[in-house]
Amino acid sequence: MDATVFGAWVATGLTLFIFSFLYRDNPLFKLAEHLYVGISVGYTIVKSYDTVIVHLIVKPIVEQGEIALLIPVTIGLLMLTRYVPRAAWMSRYAFAFIVGVGSGLAIPRTISSFILKQVEDTVRPLLSLAGSDGVSFSVNLLNPASNLNAIIILIGVSSVLFYFFFSIEHSGPGKAVARTGILFLMIAFGAAFGYTVMARMSLLIGRLTDLIEFSDASYGRPTLWLSIVTIGALILLARRSQQEPPEAR
Amino acid sequence: MIFLRRQLPLLITMITGLLFAGQYYVPHPASEQLLTSVTKWLQIIGGFALVLGVTSLFHQHAVKIRRKEAGWGYSLVLYAGMLGTIAVGFWANGKESVDGAMTAFGWVYSFMMVPLQGTMFAILAFFIASAAYRSFRARSREAAVLLIAAIIVMMGRVPLGEYLIPLSGDVSQWILNVLNASVRRAILIGVSLGAIALSFKIIFGVERSYLGGGKE
Amino acid sequence: MTFAERMLKIDRRIIFLVIGLCTLLPLLYPVGLPIKISPEVRSVYDYMEALPERSVFLLSIDFDPASKPELHPQAIALLRHAFRKNLRVVSMTLWVSGTGMADQLLTQVAKEMGKENGKDYVFLGWSPGGTAVIINMGQDLYTAFPSDYGGRPTKGIPVLEGVHSLKDVNYAISLGAGNPGVEAWYVFGKDKYRFELGGGCTGVIAPGLYPLLRSGQINGLIGGLRGAAEYESLIGQKARAVAGMDAQSATHVAIIVLVIICNVFYFNLRRVPRQQGHGTS
Repeated sequence: MDATVFGAWVATGLTLFIFSFLYRDNPLFKLAEHLYVGISVGYTIVKSYDTVIVHLIVKPIVEQGEIALLIPVTIGLLMLTRYVPRAAWMSRYAFAFIVGVGSGLAIPRTISSFILKQVEDTVRPLLSLAGSDGVSFSVNLLNPASNLNAIIILIGVSSVLFYFFFSIEHSGPGKAVARTGILFLMIAFGAAFGYTVMARMSLLIGRLTDLIEFSDASYGRPTLWLSIVTIGALILLARRSQQEPPEAR
Repeated sequence: MIFLRRQLPLLITMITGLLFAGQYYVPHPASEQLLTSVTKWLQIIGGFALVLGVTSLFHQHAVKIRRKEAGWGYSLVLYAGMLGTIAVGFWANGKESVDGAMTAFGWVYSFMMVPLQGTMFAILAFFIASAAYRSFRARSREAAVLLIAAIIVMMGRVPLGEYLIPLSGDVSQWILNVLNASVRRAILIGVSLGAIALSFKIIFGVERSYLGGGKE
Repeated sequence: MTFAERMLKIDRRIIFLVIGLCTLLPLLYPVGLPIKISPEVRSVYDYMEALPERSVFLLSIDFDPASKPELHPQAIALLRHAFRKNLRVVSMTLWVSGTGMADQLLTQVAKEMGKENGKDYVFLGWSPGGTAVIINMGQDLYTAFPSDYGGRPTKGIPVLEGVHSLKDVNYAISLGAGNPGVEAWYVFGKDKYRFELGGGCTGVIAPGLYPLLRSGQINGLIGGLRGAAEYESLIGQKARAVAGMDAQSATHVAIIVLVIICNVFYFNLRRVPRQQGHGTS
């Protein structure tokens, strides 16, 4: 049997087993779920070994003599001592190094990218209001770079930042700003929900497209036959669980 | 001993943290070489970190099999899947295809891992629909605003919505590029400030939970 | 129980069935409505169109099979465009479980467009470390990836001639499904090494990238399956993404109808006790 055709049957079967969860939790789903975890972990291990051990460590050290790479290997091995209770304290050195370097690398880059640049872009469009030929104001709502939108963005950013500032009470004029912030937040969350729905539906569309592709006669129509098998198995399992309670009594 | 177990690791964190925070501002070739070497080391250490994550999974399911707890048969399936994939992977030298031809490892990846992972996430579509029906109710003014914004964006981002109500496309673009962008910007600035504060706390030893491992 | 109460407590499997049909039927019987192109996708297309031949284009395939339906069509459309423009394509991935998929899709499109591995494109493969890989590539590409995915030493591959680090890349696009993704490529890459950066992402994280789009930190954004469909329309090769748009329309309308119905029943239920109260007083 051709490997691709056999693969199509296996892929379709596993897909339908997981879809069977929509009817109820059942052994077919649990089988597929545990298989998924096992295969993912196995794949990660193979890839890690091939990339890290063979290509990043062994080859450079043996073929190009980069002995300095023994330092990170030592640090990595120290990290693994976390699972040996007596020696677990040695793993602290590894974590101290990783976390220290990670924090150090992240601080200036985050400040530059996510704070300075973002604040700059909130304020800069307002400078274009007063150009060399006097004050101009563009009101095109559909152009995100227009002056009206720049002011809306400024109001949005400041009111939301104020809303999350819990050190002072949101009373008086502060309450109005906080309420504006909440309004902006709700609209943004609504947009996020809309996009999440779009994303999830796209994932389903992708799987069903694959199922339809595998329902072709050239593969032996696995979608059709395996759907019958899965539904039959679910009915059998439902019947068996109905018969059990009288025995338990 | 306290020094070796507690003070020295914290000292290492502080020195490395300050060193690499400062490195960003030093353009000297030696500083650039330091960055290149240490990020190379991080790649290798990252590989070991992956192994760490996997070990706890082994242990959890091994215990289940040994104690013959409920569902231990499924743990056997997990182990079989894992060991089978590893065996096939090493046999193929970790390659999914050789000169255009698919290896057994590539077969397991394409016809088992990809469909399994894809479908696990595809069924979320059904749950989001049923959750939306059960709980997406306009209980308050704010919830109503959220609802209306969601409906406008859902309409505006599909061809049918733009065909039926052309305005929904323009309004959803405005919501995304102006209103949503401003809120996300504020959240980004806020979260980044928090992350930097946490990083400084870690570097100066105020926050120690990342150390773990052993007493103290 | 009133009708409204019964409808609100309806078995969720009926909703599953509705969604299933709304997805399946348009896939089997497509209609093909026109797709409007959004400015953020057009920016990516225009920038790619303007790149001279043999420019270096870096495509980072930062997703795993879970996000394949949304980002795989984006990758295919971008690669088709890049190969048509005769750009030098350098590809890699930061997500371990996406490696096989990235290798397969690159090989597939290259074969379709008649491009040669080593001369027109190279797949560097995967490396652990996430953001450390990006920094390392910015310092020295050959330290980050001493060999490509096939085991060939990267020093000396014709397509990488003149490319020492990210500073020599003309345009980079990260197709990200989370972290590390587009944001990491900006913070640890473009911030210091100053190459032009575009983004492709899933629908879940797309709204969060708009601040970067507005500030010009990324020059364009291809969001979700809809973004992929727009890009396919722009390059004139409609494929899976466009085919999925009808089903997308149907499911969105289904969800909107479900939400409106549930709110109608909810308000109905809230009004009833008040009416009963008025009746008895």
